[in-house]
Amino acid sequence: MNALVVLSVILFILMLLIGGKRGVRSFISLFFNFGMLMLTIFLMLDPHMNPMIVTLISSAVISCINLFFINDVNRKTATAFLSTLITIVILLLFINIVSTVSMTQGFGKEQSEELATFSLLVGVDFAKIGASVVIISTIGAITEVAISITSSMGETLNHHPNISRKDLFLSGMRIGKDILGTDTNTLFFAFFGGYLALLIWFKDLHYSLGDIVNSRIFSAEMITIFCAGIGVALIIPITSWINAYFSVKAREKQEDVKTREK
Amino acid sequence: MNVIVNKYKGLTSKSILLYTVIVICFVSSILFVNHNSTFYKQTVAKVTNIHLQEKKQVKDMHNNEDQIFTQSITAEIKNGKYKGKLVRLTNDYSSSGAYDQQYKIGNELFISIDKNSKKQKLTGSINDAKRDKYLVLVGWIFILTLLLVGKKRGLFSLISLLVNALLLSFALDFYVNHSYKSLVWICSILVILFTVISLLLLNGLNEMTYAAIVATLLGIFLTLLVTYVSIKFTAGNGLRYEEMQFLTRPYELVFMAGLLVGSLGAVMDVAITISSSVFGLYEKNGDISLKALKQSGMEIGKDVMGALTNILFFVYAAGSIPSMILYLKNASSLGFTLSMNLSLEIARSLAGGIGIMLTIPIAVYTSVYFVNQKRKRI
Repeated sequence: MNALVVLSVILFILMLLIGGKRGVRSFISLFFNFGMLMLTIFLMLDPHMNPMIVTLISSAVISCINLFFINDVNRKTATAFLSTLITIVILLLFINIVSTVSMTQGFGKEQSEELATFSLLVGVDFAKIGASVVIISTIGAITEVAISITSSMGETLNHHPNISRKDLFLSGMRIGKDILGTDTNTLFFAFFGGYLALLIWFKDLHYSLGDIVNSRIFSAEMITIFCAGIGVALIIPITSWINAYFSVKAREKQEDVKTREK
Repeated sequence: MNVIVNKYKGLTSKSILLYTVIVICFVSSILFVNHNSTFYKQTVAKVTNIHLQEKKQVKDMHNNEDQIFTQSITAEIKNGKYKGKLVRLTNDYSSSGAYDQQYKIGNELFISIDKNSKKQKLTGSINDAKRDKYLVLVGWIFILTLLLVGKKRGLFSLISLLVNALLLSFALDFYVNHSYKSLVWICSILVILFTVISLLLLNGLNEMTYAAIVATLLGIFLTLLVTYVSIKFTAGNGLRYEEMQFLTRPYELVFMAGLLVGSLGAVMDVAITISSSVFGLYEKNGDISLKALKQSGMEIGKDVMGALTNILFFVYAAGSIPSMILYLKNASSLGFTLSMNLSLEIARSLAGGIGIMLTIPIAVYTSVYFVNQKRKRI
């Protein structure tokens, strides 16, 4: 029997038992996300497609899956969606510069043996693909922070219906600070776990600190971690501001309607 | 203007000290990485002039079109006995840049000088680019963003990251130098230290944190057991360890250790989210029934499970995009490409998901237990 099938079945049963209907939806969303990842890769195979634009579109679809399918379509998720898109655009522009300047695209000389049988002149732009990798590895975390902030701000608004825009924004920032620590933590350990084999190999090769820091693979992975952290921090003020702006605007509209009715 | 002055007055001497320390660290580290060539044994040279020699169109056996460029580079040597001398280098690169690199004026390179080149006309070959200054700069942007957004919380998560990274590095050194010690044991001790340090730094010394630590440890080791049994039960069928075969070590164990560390963050996230809300509810309403506490704890678990599992999936899977593109461009079949590049990543995400799901009820019950103990004492 296939180990992946067994693990999937265990995960499905646990999600069904603990989460019920929502658990099943979460499980299905994993499949959708996997499908989106494959679609992204297929689009990137075409050298005439700009990987940055492909990434932007697939991030939008992925955040739709994570926000609207796992949760529902409502004002909270819609605001979270808008904030995610804005953050992704900013992050994409930043990472595009970073991955070009830092010369970290493609494969390192440590991987040469593995790549020996392949043609490397395949015509797609690996610098832009490297930038996409960073965005796609962070997209899950960015949407998660956005939705946590908008739903907690919704609670704040329910308890204090007359809160000012500035105070609402500050409450979003406070919630953001609370989750910033745990979310960066989650990302870092996931990256550490993923890179563990590589780190052991660097130690086995007796690389000096200078060799490690300047190697293409290590610096690419550190830059991924840094940019992921920047993305998770950046979404906090963006979501808080956008949500405060739209919530207060919606409230003012309601009040207008009420005064007119009177 | 007044606002700025007021803000300035509002600063305590402690925070002024902190800002000064940060600025000093920033400036000195940037200065250091831009002038550290003397610390490298390899020869470092800075590109001063570039001339594009040749450009040609190529087509590989799979009909992929690409361009190859040849640039001749003049660079100034920054260290060693030829310091200050100019050296001539040539560099081939392709427009896709999978395994090569276009250099620009101002880039620093590690080079080796040809043994038989004359002193007046030095020639050499390029080994690699010097990337440390870019890494440090991006690192600083990361640190400053975290501090700006998170303030004190940001500082604590940076400290926790740094301590955990150092701990991991020491543990791996220990493992590499004492190979007879089992990696899984080292990682188990590491996981306990990681959990205690991260959760204490993130949430301080209180019962909420203790409940989260207990829940995390129970959750992560149960996950390890479930995953280990399922992989052993299927004899690892469907898992392709080829991508780890560069290791001259039992890579199955390395994979399990990576899985343990990788799931830990998400498991901690679930545990602390649930315990903080259960304790929050209890503090708001001291008479709340245990049943109600359990119920809302489970609800919070349902809220986070989908998002967290997806976070892990993207972190693990995104890294294989470049090599999957390379495989598919080299006319590999989709099935082969997937199993070679994604099987371990998917196994990791599934195991992480299982960890998240197992931790939800564990965290609910431990938090409720801790609340109950607290109630009895009062």
